[in-house]
Amino acid sequence: MFDQRFVRNFSIIAHIDHGKSTLADQLLLKSGTIDQRDYREQLLDDLDVERERGITVKARAVALSYSHHGQAYELNLIDTPGHVDFHYEVSRSLAACEGALLLVDAFQGVQAQTVANAYAAINGNLEIIPVINKIDLPVTRIPEVMEEIESVVGLPTDDCLKVSAKAGLGIDTVFQAIIDRIPAPSGKPDAPLACLVFDSKYDHYRGVITYIRVVEGVVRKGQKIYFMKAGSSHEILEIGQFKPDMVPTDELGPGQVGYIITGIKVLGNVHVGDTVTDFHKRCSVPLPGYEVPQQMVFCGMYPLDATDFEKLRDELARMVLNDASFSFAPDTSDALGFGFRCGFLGMLHMEIIQQRLEKEADVDLIQTAPNVTYQVLVRGGGEVQIDNPHQVPDSGSIEEFREPIARVNFILPTERIGPIMQLCSDRRGVYITTEYLGQNRAQLFYDLPLAEIVFDLYDKLKSITQGYGTMNYDITGYRAADLVKMDILVKGEKVDALASIVHRSQAERRGRALVRRLKEQISRHQFEIPIQAAIGARVIARETISAMRKDVTAKCYGGDISRKRKLLEKQKEGKKRMKQFGAVEIPQKAFLAVLDTGSDD
Amino acid sequence: MHTLPTSVYVHVPFCQHRCGYCDFTLIAGRDDLVPRYLAGLAKELPPSHGVILKTLFLGGGTPTHPQPAELAQLFELLRSRFAWNLTTEVTVEANPLDLNESRLEVLKNAGVNRLSLGVQAFDDQSLVILERNHAANDLAGIIHRSQGVIPNVSVDLIFGVPGQTLPQWQESLARAVEMGVTHLSTYGLTFEHGTAFWNRLSRGELSRTPEDLEREMYAFAMEWLPAQGYMQYEISSFARPGYQCQHNHVYWSGDPYLAYGPGASRYVDGRRETNIRSVLGWLDRMEQGESPVAERETLDARARGHELLYVGLRRCAGVERYDFQQRTGIALDDLVGPALAKLVQQGLLVDDGKRVSLTMEGRFLADMVASELL
Ligand SMILES: Nc1nc2c(ncn2[C@@H]2O[C@H](COP(=O)(O)OP(=O)(O)OP(=O)(O)O)[C@@H](O)[C@H]2O)c(=O)[nH]1
Ligand code: SF4
Ligand SMILES: [Mg+2]
Repeated sequence: MFDQRFVRNFSIIAHIDHGKSTLADQLLLKSGTIDQRDYREQLLDDLDVERERGITVKARAVALSYSHHGQAYELNLIDTPGHVDFHYEVSRSLAACEGALLLVDAFQGVQAQTVANAYAAINGNLEIIPVINKIDLPVTRIPEVMEEIESVVGLPTDDCLKVSAKAGLGIDTVFQAIIDRIPAPSGKPDAPLACLVFDSKYDHYRGVITYIRVVEGVVRKGQKIYFMKAGSSHEILEIGQFKPDMVPTDELGPGQVGYIITGIKVLGNVHVGDTVTDFHKRCSVPLPGYEVPQQMVFCGMYPLDATDFEKLRDELARMVLNDASFSFAPDTSDALGFGFRCGFLGMLHMEIIQQRLEKEADVDLIQTAPNVTYQVLVRGGGEVQIDNPHQVPDSGSIEEFREPIARVNFILPTERIGPIMQLCSDRRGVYITTEYLGQNRAQLFYDLPLAEIVFDLYDKLKSITQGYGTMNYDITGYRAADLVKMDILVKGEKVDALASIVHRSQAERRGRALVRRLKEQISRHQFEIPIQAAIGARVIARETISAMRKDVTAKCYGGDISRKRKLLEKQKEGKKRMKQFGAVEIPQKAFLAVLDTGSDD
Repeated sequence: MHTLPTSVYVHVPFCQHRCGYCDFTLIAGRDDLVPRYLAGLAKELPPSHGVILKTLFLGGGTPTHPQPAELAQLFELLRSRFAWNLTTEVTVEANPLDLNESRLEVLKNAGVNRLSLGVQAFDDQSLVILERNHAANDLAGIIHRSQGVIPNVSVDLIFGVPGQTLPQWQESLARAVEMGVTHLSTYGLTFEHGTAFWNRLSRGELSRTPEDLEREMYAFAMEWLPAQGYMQYEISSFARPGYQCQHNHVYWSGDPYLAYGPGASRYVDGRRETNIRSVLGWLDRMEQGESPVAERETLDARARGHELLYVGLRRCAGVERYDFQQRTGIALDDLVGPALAKLVQQGLLVDDGKRVSLTMEGRFLADMVASELL
C-alpha cells in the first residue's frame, strides 16, 4: 500500500480547448508514466468520438508515479471535459480529489466554463491552482488574464503558474505545485472501508469495471465487498490502477484511485456515486455520493427494424453504465412503434450518445427531434411532467403550461453586446445585468427559456461573436408561458413523432418553416402528399408534395450496366432509414427537421 | 462450363462536337487521334476469336465520324479478329450527316446490316437546342438514301427537350414512321452531371420539361407506335415484327458480351469490367502495353440477381422465374419477395406466378421500381 502522505489527487479543469488533455499528456510523459514511444496527442481521449472531434467527452483517471527529491509520489490525475454539456463529469471528478488545476488559455482568458468549473471546485473545498496555459502562443494577454482570474473567478494569482502544455514549458512547476499545495488525502487505513464509485464501464470479456477512489480503509484483491446503495455483495477478482492502461495491484489504500472487477455481468447493479465497503466490517454511513444530473433535452430513439428493440435496450443499458448522466425509458409512438425516450444533458451529449450507439452497437436508429421537459398544471389540480410532445393534454384541460428557464451568463467582447441582446430578446429572454471585465469584455446575464438555449444558441453566439463569446447556464425553475402543441399531418394523418411544443407567438412561423423543410425531405411518391401544421383543429401551414409521375431514365448505353446499378444503389442508400407511415415513407432526416426551423421565416 | 461470348461491342469515341446533353465517352474535334485509336484497338482486340458472332455493335461517340478510309481500316481490323456472316446482326450507330455515298459503301461492304441513326428530332427548334449538326429538312433524303443501301434503319428520338411541345414530339414520331424505319428508340432527355446542359440548368438558362408533359410524350409513344405496327419490347425500344435489336437483348437478358475501346464495358464469366473512360488515358495505356481496365467487379449470386432484375424488367416480357433461377442460382422470391409483393400492390408490377413485368404505370416509374428491388 502506498504511503498516503505521498499521494495527491487532482483534476484538471478548464473551459473547452484550453489544453487540459494536452497538459495531461505532458504530465504522463514527464513523469515517465508513458514513454515517448507510446505518446500521441491527447492520449487520454481514446473514444472514437473524442478523437474525431478533438474534444474530451469522458473524464479519465490516471495514476502517475513521480519521483521528487528522491521521494516517490503517486499523483492521481483526472482529465475532465470542458464542454458545458459534460459539466456533470467535472463535478463527479472533483468529488474524488483534494485539488484542481484550473487551466486558462493565455490568449482567450477566463471563459464561461472557466467560471462554472472553478466555482464547482471552490464549492467542493478543493485547493485550486490557477495555471495559465499556451504561453507559447504568438499573442498572449497574460497580465489581463491574471486580472480576470482575480476579478471574475476570485482567486489570487500570486502563485499562478505559466506554462505551455504543447511546448512542454513550465511542466516542472506544475509537479512542484501539486506536491506542495495540494493536501494529501486524509483517510485512515485501519478505518472501515469506504470507496466512492465515480465511474464504471462495461467490458465484454470481464463484465463491469468499477472505478473507485478509496476514502477510508484499504481494499484488497479477494476481499468480499458490499455496494451500499445496490445492496449487493461481491468478491474482488482483480484490483488495479490506470497507468493509463489497467495494471493490477494487490491493494489500494486511502486516497488511491483505481478499479475493481467483481465479475458483475448484470447491467444496472453498479451505480455511480455508490459506496463500496467491506462486507463484514461495513462503514456506518455511506459517502455523500452525487446529485442525480438533470437531463435537459429528451428525444425518442427507435430501432429502424422493430426486431432490434431488445438489442437497443441492452446497448442503452450499457451506455448508461458508462455515462450516468444519460437516461432512457421505454416509449411508444404510433408512427415509430416501440422505442425509448432518452434524456441528455445537452445537444452535444445527445449527438455523442447517438454516434456511440451507432458505432459501438450497430443498431440503425430513427431519432426524433429533441425537446426540453415542460410542466402542465391540469385543470382541477395535478401537475404533469411533459418530456414528449404527445403527452400534452388537450388544450381544454390545461390550466397552465410551464417551461424551464435558465440563467445564462455570456462572456463576450463588449462590442457584441448589442447583437446578443437583440438575439436574447427575440428569444423571449429577460435581461438581468451586465458586468464589465476589464476594457473589452463583459459578462451578460439573461433569463431565457431553456428551449431557446439548448438547440442552437451556442452556435448563434459563436457566429455573432466570431468565436469569442462563451456561455454557461443553470436551470433556475419553471415559468408559465403561452405554449401550444403543434401537430404535423402527413396526408391527413397526424404523425405523433413530428409534433412539437412551440410558443404561440412563434407557431405560424415555425409551422411554415417546418412544413417547407418536410417537403424538401420527404421524397415524391406516386401520389400527392399534403403536409400540414396544425394547432388543435386549426391548420396553420400547408405544403404539398406533388406526385411522382415519371422517373425512368435513358438507355444504359454500351452495356455499361454497373454504372447504372451504382446510381441506383446510391438512390437506395438515400432511402435507408425510411420509416413507412401509412403509404408514405418518411426519412430519418425529416424527424429532425423540427430543429432546423428555429431561425427561419 | 465456359462458353465464348458471341456478342461484341466496339466503342468509337469520336465526334465533331460534344452535344450539350451528352456525357458519353468521346473526344470531340480530335480526328488526328483516329490512327492512334486504330493502333490501340489492334492491341486490345484478341488475336482471333474463332466463333461466328451473333451480334456486333459499333457505338460511340460517332462510329461514322472517321474518314471513309479509316472506317474501312477499322472494319478490316475487326475482320481480322472476329468472324461474322449474314446471320450476324451488325449494327453501326451513325450521325445522319456522315452518311454520304462513300461511307455507306464502306459499311455495306463490311457486312453492316443495321444502322442506328442519331436523328433525335424532326423539328429544327429541338435540333438546335440539342446542338445537332443536321437540319430537319436534311433527314428524309439521308434516311431514304441509307435505306437504299442498308434497309434496316433504326432512329433514336429524344423527348423532353427544353421547349419541345407535345405536337412537335408527335410530329417527330409520325415522320419516323412515315419513312418506314424498322425500329425506334425513344429517350427522355436527362441532365447529367458535368454536361453543358447541367451547367446551363443550374444557371437557369435551360429549364426542365415539366414532368407531366414528359409523361404525356412518353405515354403517347407507348400508345401510338404499337398502333402503327411498332411493338414496344423494352422501356425505350419499339420495333416492327422481326426487327428487335438482338444486341441489346444480350444486355437485358444477362448474357455475356465482349467490349473494346475507351469506356467500354464487358461482361464475361460473371465479371463486369469497364475500361478507363478517358480517351487519352485509354490510348496511353494501350501504347504503354497496360491493361485498359479501370473497374472490375465479380458479381455474386445476389448481385447478379439484382442486376438481372434491373435490366430484365426493362423488357416488356419481364423476368421469368425459372430463367432467373437458372441464371443466378437464386429464387426470385428469396431475393426480393416482399418488395415484389409491395410493387404489385402499388400497381407497378404484374406477377402471373411465372413471370414478373412492369405495368404501364410501372414503365413510367421504372427507376423507382429498380431501386426498390436492389
Ligand atoms: N499553442 C498551444 N496550443 C495548445 C497548448 N495546449 C493545448 N493546445 C492546443 O489546444 C487545443 C485543445 O487542446 P486539448 O488539450 O484537447 O484541450 P482540452 O482542454 O482538453 O479540450 P476539451 O477536453 O475538449 O475541453 C489542441 O489543438 C492543442 O494542441 C499550448 O500550450 N500551446
Ligand atoms: S453525336 Fe452523340 S455521342 Fe457525339 S456528342 Fe453528340 S450525342 Fe454525344
Ligand atoms: Mg480534453
